[in-house]
Amino acid sequence: MSMLLEVSGVTVTFDGFRAINNLSINFAPTELRAIIGPNGAGKTTFMDIVTGKTKPDEGTVIWGDRNISLLGLSESQIAREGIGRKFQKPTVFEAQTVRQNLAMALKTPRGPFAVLMHKKTKSNGARIEAVAEQIGLSDSLTRIAGELSHGQKQWLEIGMLLAQEPRLMLVDEPAAGMTPEEREKTTDILKEAAKTRAVVVVEHDMEFVRRLDCKVTVLHEGAVLAEGSLDHVTSNPTVIDVYLGRAHA
Amino acid sequence: MTASFFARHPSVLWFLLCLSLFTILVTLLSEATGVGLISTSFVKTLGKTLCLCLVAIAMDVVWGYCGILSLGHFAFFGIGGYAIGMWLMYARTELIVVESLSKQVIPPTPAEISDAIGNQIFGVVGSAEFPWIWGFADSLFLQLLMVVLVPGLLAMVFGWLAFRSRVTGVYLSILTQAMTLALALYLFQNDSGLRGNNGLSGLQNIPGYQDVSQATVSIIFFIASAVALGAGYVFFAWIVSGKMGSVVKGIRDNEARVRFLGYHVESYKLFIFTVTAVVAGIAGALYYPQAGIINPGEIAPIASIYLAVWVAIGGRGRLYGAVIGAAFVSLLSSWFTGGGAPDINLGFYVIQWTDWWLVLLGLSFVAVTLFFPKGIGGLFDYLVRKPS
Repeated sequence: MSMLLEVSGVTVTFDGFRAINNLSINFAPTELRAIIGPNGAGKTTFMDIVTGKTKPDEGTVIWGDRNISLLGLSESQIAREGIGRKFQKPTVFEAQTVRQNLAMALKTPRGPFAVLMHKKTKSNGARIEAVAEQIGLSDSLTRIAGELSHGQKQWLEIGMLLAQEPRLMLVDEPAAGMTPEEREKTTDILKEAAKTRAVVVVEHDMEFVRRLDCKVTVLHEGAVLAEGSLDHVTSNPTVIDVYLGRAHA
Repeated sequence: MTASFFARHPSVLWFLLCLSLFTILVTLLSEATGVGLISTSFVKTLGKTLCLCLVAIAMDVVWGYCGILSLGHFAFFGIGGYAIGMWLMYARTELIVVESLSKQVIPPTPAEISDAIGNQIFGVVGSAEFPWIWGFADSLFLQLLMVVLVPGLLAMVFGWLAFRSRVTGVYLSILTQAMTLALALYLFQNDSGLRGNNGLSGLQNIPGYQDVSQATVSIIFFIASAVALGAGYVFFAWIVSGKMGSVVKGIRDNEARVRFLGYHVESYKLFIFTVTAVVAGIAGALYYPQAGIINPGEIAPIASIYLAVWVAIGGRGRLYGAVIGAAFVSLLSSWFTGGGAPDINLGFYVIQWTDWWLVLLGLSFVAVTLFFPKGIGGLFDYLVRKPS
């Protein structure tokens, strides 16, 4: 099976510090993947590169069936190519309703004039309601997003990702600040989403990663340290040494 | 734009209703109808105020809705004024020159007429040549086109350069201040082609309508300003509603998030910046014939800052707030600085409002920012939400 995203030999240096060091990592069209690693391992920088926020010094990032390079594209072009991103801190548009948030994310033409002439349609309304159902916010469509609880904001942001219909979802610490029940629901949403697309979850919380029950990539000092099932990587002596060992020290 | 638009936005209908009633009332009470309860000079003040309200809602859209604190929108207002002023001054001087030369025995040649007009207009700056920018000044249609095109193009080029380089926040505000300052300094020069610090004058006289009294001219401009304000209000209400409004407010609140949703943020900012600049130009073109004179001092950086102060006091992010702020503050300003407010004698010191008005304005701006961030318009929230 050909890969959806191929990152190879990527290096990024910030003021002499190698945040990403010759990183190579691939994702299949439908998979759920967890990326773990200690602070400063380059997890967020990796996401910044894929979404166009940071340009690497070296290496290639090849995307999709047409094998195009993402490095020459702007953030908005990459998003339109089908890569969605959820930030660590929930960033929804707090002054607007849940429905407006989802409507803005919905996969429709993105140009100013198309948006200006945009008309509400039944099919778009149905899509918004379907996403709201998926994230459990059906009853909150008319609420102002700023009034939602922390967990609901996280779900709304995941919902906005789903509404974008991306082929790759990059999700940064989705379970942060969630209650155990909320975590369970978040796991379900992500597992469901991964059936039809690639979902990459960056997470600190080992319990949450275990619940995702998927392939795990361990980053360390900007490169892949180990890859495989959670049990496989956690039994790897180097991983224990640099990550778990240090965490328990 | 359909009936459902007004149904979803009742405040737009309310605004149009109030504006229409106000316009009819002022017209009926003006000197133009013979009633004369409202003097011609006050009709002009009210008409000018309506134009200021129009540029204020443009400012509210660019700042209150899109989050771009432009401190240069009054430059576009001034350019609109200059564009219409050039035709007014040219056409009127032409009439006078042709009339005076027609008394000669030998009929004047077109070159003589042109020279005479040039002498009349540019004598004050020691020149008689027509600068190239006056190339279209003999055509009302082309100068009206300039009212829209020049501010629009300037905003588009400036905005494209600034937004493309992702200049935001206070840096963008400083750049816009620099733009309006540079324009004002350029126009102050005698060889700028727009009569230096003399500016353009006699704009209240409409060429071809010398026999019409100022009472009538003033009421016509007053009504035209009211129509422009109403149309501008509906236009901007339409832009900031619906999905466009969602994206624009999203850019204000979190630009990066909108970008990662796949929207090309720079195009949206450029669109809003340019459209509001064009409306500012139209507002200026209606304002200066009522003021009678325009000079480079009008587009000094402080003018654009006042614009931001009006919108802040009236209430950002709501169009009627901008209208209230502009009307309230600018009328109050002319009352205080025009000698309307009585001086206060403290015995040891006399507070003269012409000097102290700015202090009062500054203090109210600080007070509004600290205690009523929603401005005067925020008071309407209490009225609307009372039942719940």
